[in-house]
Amino acid sequence: MSAWISQFFASYSNIIDLCLLNSLVGYGLFLALSANMFSLATGGFMALGAYCSVYCTMELGFPFAPAVFAGALLAALGAAAIGAPVLRLRGDYFMLATFAFTEVIRVIALNWDSVTGGAIGIFSIPRHTETWHLALAVAVVIYVAYTLRRSYFGRAIAAVKQDDVVAQSMGVNVFMHRLSLFIASGFICGAAGALAAHLNYFIGPGDFGLVRSVDALTYPILGGVNALAGPLIGAIFTTLLPEALRFSNQLREILMGALVVAIVLYLPGGAMSVFKLRWFGVRAGETKLAAATEQAQS
Amino acid sequence: MSTFLQQLVNGISLGSTYAVFAMGCTLIFGVLNIVNMAQGAFFMGGAYFGLEAARLGLPAPLALAVALAGGGLLGMLSELVIFRTLRARGGHRWMGLVASLALARMMIGLAQEIFGTQVQRYPASDLMQISWEIADVRIQLLQVVLLLVSLLLMALLAFVLQRSSIGRAIRTVAFSEDVARIVGVPVGRTILATFFLAGALAGAAGMLLGNLFNVVSPFMGEQMLVKGLTVIILGGLGNVPGAVAGGFLLGLIEVFSVAYVSSSFRDAIGFGLIFVILLVKPNGLFSGFEERRA
Repeated sequence: MSAWISQFFASYSNIIDLCLLNSLVGYGLFLALSANMFSLATGGFMALGAYCSVYCTMELGFPFAPAVFAGALLAALGAAAIGAPVLRLRGDYFMLATFAFTEVIRVIALNWDSVTGGAIGIFSIPRHTETWHLALAVAVVIYVAYTLRRSYFGRAIAAVKQDDVVAQSMGVNVFMHRLSLFIASGFICGAAGALAAHLNYFIGPGDFGLVRSVDALTYPILGGVNALAGPLIGAIFTTLLPEALRFSNQLREILMGALVVAIVLYLPGGAMSVFKLRWFGVRAGETKLAAATEQAQS
Repeated sequence: MSTFLQQLVNGISLGSTYAVFAMGCTLIFGVLNIVNMAQGAFFMGGAYFGLEAARLGLPAPLALAVALAGGGLLGMLSELVIFRTLRARGGHRWMGLVASLALARMMIGLAQEIFGTQVQRYPASDLMQISWEIADVRIQLLQVVLLLVSLLLMALLAFVLQRSSIGRAIRTVAFSEDVARIVGVPVGRTILATFFLAGALAGAAGMLLGNLFNVVSPFMGEQMLVKGLTVIILGGLGNVPGAVAGGFLLGLIEVFSVAYVSSSFRDAIGFGLIFVILLVKPNGLFSGFEERRA
């Protein structure tokens, strides 16, 4: 039995690592989405975390853990810096401003040759990230998200999500709540970037563009933004599917696209909405209400 | 001085294709308040439609018509398959973004399957060889034709939007879907028409840019999508004249920064500028006053 398990891990550890990494990013976005922040800044945050941590380990000789922490902290700082002005923008402008942020970071990474290696990227990064690091990070983030939802803060955020004007009138500081969630999201994405860099031996500016940012949004949205397990399910699904479709490279992209389209069309509330609809009638009404307010706002 | 004029010529011809592409993006945004991430794939599709038509020996104007129609049909397909279904099922606005990106990937995969991954080129024609030297400035016939075609498409779109009944319907839906329903505008068909127009513009831009750089590849759309988003930020979301001005502006910024600013960090300056614009004038550079959408 144990032999079987170790063999399983030996052959699938890459995929497990990738699933966990994507889940981590997914939870970063989950926090942002829980306050209606449709952020495309993920690529930028991950780049900040990745380059900073790699600089710390390879140039400054930091141990692994402080380097990851430094990367995450830098990304959180970035989130704080852009969050203050950007959060004043309304929905779509917020999205585009975060997109512009990701592009700025990507282009800086492309041109700051002495630190980022320019277009070629950085090779032969020491591999420090172990599967248990990733699993621990995901577990911690899930625990934090779980406690947050049950705290005053979480209820305030839920109110902001439903209607920020009403929340504001009830005494919730909408701006500070959004900003702190955005910073937390930046921190998690930065940590994920740092972990990813020390997992893949290589980072380049191409890893952190628009596609990366939208992919990250796909995990919680496909899984369901109202369910705690949503990002995990979404990330595992979108990571495993390409592996299952490995038999043809191009057909894989086509089938992958078709499946994502099908999920979006048939489960518009995300994959986890299946359970909610069946098991908790009240919750289903809640999501309908949320959809109605959304419609009324737009 | 001659460098300046040369870059001006290059920037204007490049910017005109950006403007054509961005008009489509901004049109969809103005009507539906969504960003269609598949717009870059329609751009790529249009380039291949035009390429195949040119290889069949069709004259350039007909090939362009094929690219227009092909891009438009792809646009309609995205509306019929994704956006209409999502609206009917009451899906979240975010779902459209995810689904349209998935559709774009599907189309990139399909293009790889059909046309292969290698870069392809348009068959050589007089258009590409003829050029003039005026006071040290080299002007290609292709650049002139490109600019004229782009201007024609802009005029055509302006005419359709301002003067035709379908244009009036599109503007009504953009103002408010409910109002449009009350006054008897067929909303579904109007949105379909909008997607056709946007797809056709993307397809045309694909053929134009494919000719300008003489490169057609399955991956050409992703870069363009980033540029399209940039332009609609510059011009203001949903603002068609703004997209035209923003397109030319981006084209000029790109070529001039290559020529004058040291090449490192030039894009960073551009995107940093956009970031600042979003903060200072979120309705685009060309908005007269802060107009809050109800």
